[in-house]
Amino acid sequence: MNLLRTLCLPALLVVLAACSSSGPAPAPVATPPGVGDVRLQQSTGTPVAEQVLDIGVLVFANGASASDGNRFGDWVYDEVRENERHLLPFTLRNTLLESNQWGAVRVLPQSDPSVDLLISGAILTSDGTGLVLQVHAEDSTGRVWLDHTYRDSTAETDFPQVRELRRSTAAEARVMEEPFADLYAQIANDLLNARQQLSTAQLQEIQQVSLLVYANDLAPESFAYMLEGDDAGRITAASLPAANDPMMARVMDMRRRHYLFIDTVDEYYEALHEQMQSPYLIWRRYSFDQELEEQRALDRAQGQGKYSSTSGYLTLTQRYDRYRWSKIYEQEFRELASSFNREAAPAILELNQQVRGLNGTLEEQYIQWRRILRELFRLETGDIAPLPASQQD
Amino acid sequence: MAYSFRNLPFLVSLAALLCLSMPVLAQDDLPVLDLNRPLRLDFSGSWEKDFGRSDKWEDELGRMLRIRQEQAARQQAGLSSGSGPAVSLGNINLNSGRDGVSIIDLARLAEYISRQTTLNIIQDEEHIRIERRGEAPLICSLEAGPLETFSSPHGSEICGWDQQQLVFVITLPDELVIRHRFSVAADHEQLRVLTSISSRGSAPFNLTQSFTPYDEPAESFDCVLTLSRGRVCSKGTPLP
Repeated sequence: MNLLRTLCLPALLVVLAACSSSGPAPAPVATPPGVGDVRLQQSTGTPVAEQVLDIGVLVFANGASASDGNRFGDWVYDEVRENERHLLPFTLRNTLLESNQWGAVRVLPQSDPSVDLLISGAILTSDGTGLVLQVHAEDSTGRVWLDHTYRDSTAETDFPQVRELRRSTAAEARVMEEPFADLYAQIANDLLNARQQLSTAQLQEIQQVSLLVYANDLAPESFAYMLEGDDAGRITAASLPAANDPMMARVMDMRRRHYLFIDTVDEYYEALHEQMQSPYLIWRRYSFDQELEEQRALDRAQGQGKYSSTSGYLTLTQRYDRYRWSKIYEQEFRELASSFNREAAPAILELNQQVRGLNGTLEEQYIQWRRILRELFRLETGDIAPLPASQQD
Repeated sequence: MAYSFRNLPFLVSLAALLCLSMPVLAQDDLPVLDLNRPLRLDFSGSWEKDFGRSDKWEDELGRMLRIRQEQAARQQAGLSSGSGPAVSLGNINLNSGRDGVSIIDLARLAEYISRQTTLNIIQDEEHIRIERRGEAPLICSLEAGPLETFSSPHGSEICGWDQQQLVFVITLPDELVIRHRFSVAADHEQLRVLTSISSRGSAPFNLTQSFTPYDEPAESFDCVLTLSRGRVCSKGTPLP
């Protein structure tokens, strides 16, 4: 058995070494067109009441692995992606607020029944040269506003020098400008365009349904009959409560408390964003350089195949040195990824430890909070029977 | 006295129990073996080249050329074993590969690659990291592998274990293959690195280097790379 292993392993290594340089290329992924230069459509005045929709931006999903998963040690890039999932939604949230077209815009760890419009996203690609986001926006009635993949790419001028970044503080907005601002502006403009397609009555219905959906989340036995769903997943208000309905007054009171909670959660994401903004921008700047260097290496390698057919000592050492330097460069880049993760770790830890009296990650705390609110609602309305198991989470 | 004698068997038993439990207590200090992980010899530490025991590339090249000359002579005398390329005395086939890479160039490249005189190896329960001045570290898992550790348009690297020997295979363009095979003595007194270079399936040029452990002076500063502040160093543990 040992002899077999002795003979087989080196052979296997050689076979794999040969395969690694000439293996089949992965299937190409359809690349959406870039968003180009986009100007954010901002409102100078205060939007009318029915247009002031509350938006929740969910922590993004990881649409694709940050590494190809084949190379040993590449998990460090997956950890970077894990941190990006919490950082990028906040940039979208800021852009939406900057447009001055909406009500409250908050980053949320979980799907929330209290918001009028919920935006979910998945990061498909994210590095210094390009960002591809899959974005889905759906209002409380189940109407899909947006389901689109956005792509933006950067140029060297989109990034300040690392030296400048290290000197800057979070307050220096010019230096900290988002390299993929066009992508976020495009999402905001598309949402605005979707809203403009809706009538005043439709916008009012969204707000009415979101209140009923929230009420139903608190006490389905009292409010479920007011909502109607169809096979397509659309929800309508079958009936509306009276303006002086005391039960609904309590629901609105609970919703105010819930808003306070999700405002606090949003502040935690803001704190995370503030702490991570500078290292993240530096990381993306390095990532941009790395991508550029990889492209140059590819060009050089192709050029080498065309023009260098000699096999003397000088050629051999040049060949080895190119490999050596590309590996040194990649190791340094991996080191930078690790240091970004190291800097992000305390901020992420803080994010998950913020809410006193609640345990676990922010997502788990959020679930606990909603359960507490339901319990509180039952107590306040005099229904002190234990919560059914189906509503525990 | 009667009291003491009456309790003697109990005291003896207690003493015996304590004695028996001593090794158990001592064993508590030993690291717990994880049998799910492969057992590996310890490569860690600082190593310096032992020039006396290491190959000199010129000598190794001379030896290879002598073998080829002898082969050629045997062929001329009709004593060919039937295997290997035809060799003539006038031209002892210095251009060993199909693409004409000469064995001399392979030998010089082996010397260029193996020029470091010290190695620093860090090994934990999961990874081994071999640091060489002027080179990217060679990093591998302690699992059997093989694992791809690097790939770029300029070459790729794979590592794995051949029993207790750690093997790295680097494939450069035009089928130039470099293999590093690390083996360590069980008493941790010697580390050997065999570097083999071949081109397009040619016979490899082998160069063996030997290393012995040495005590590297402790670093004065512990440095860590941060993105926002660059390299940040703090005073290391003072020397005793």
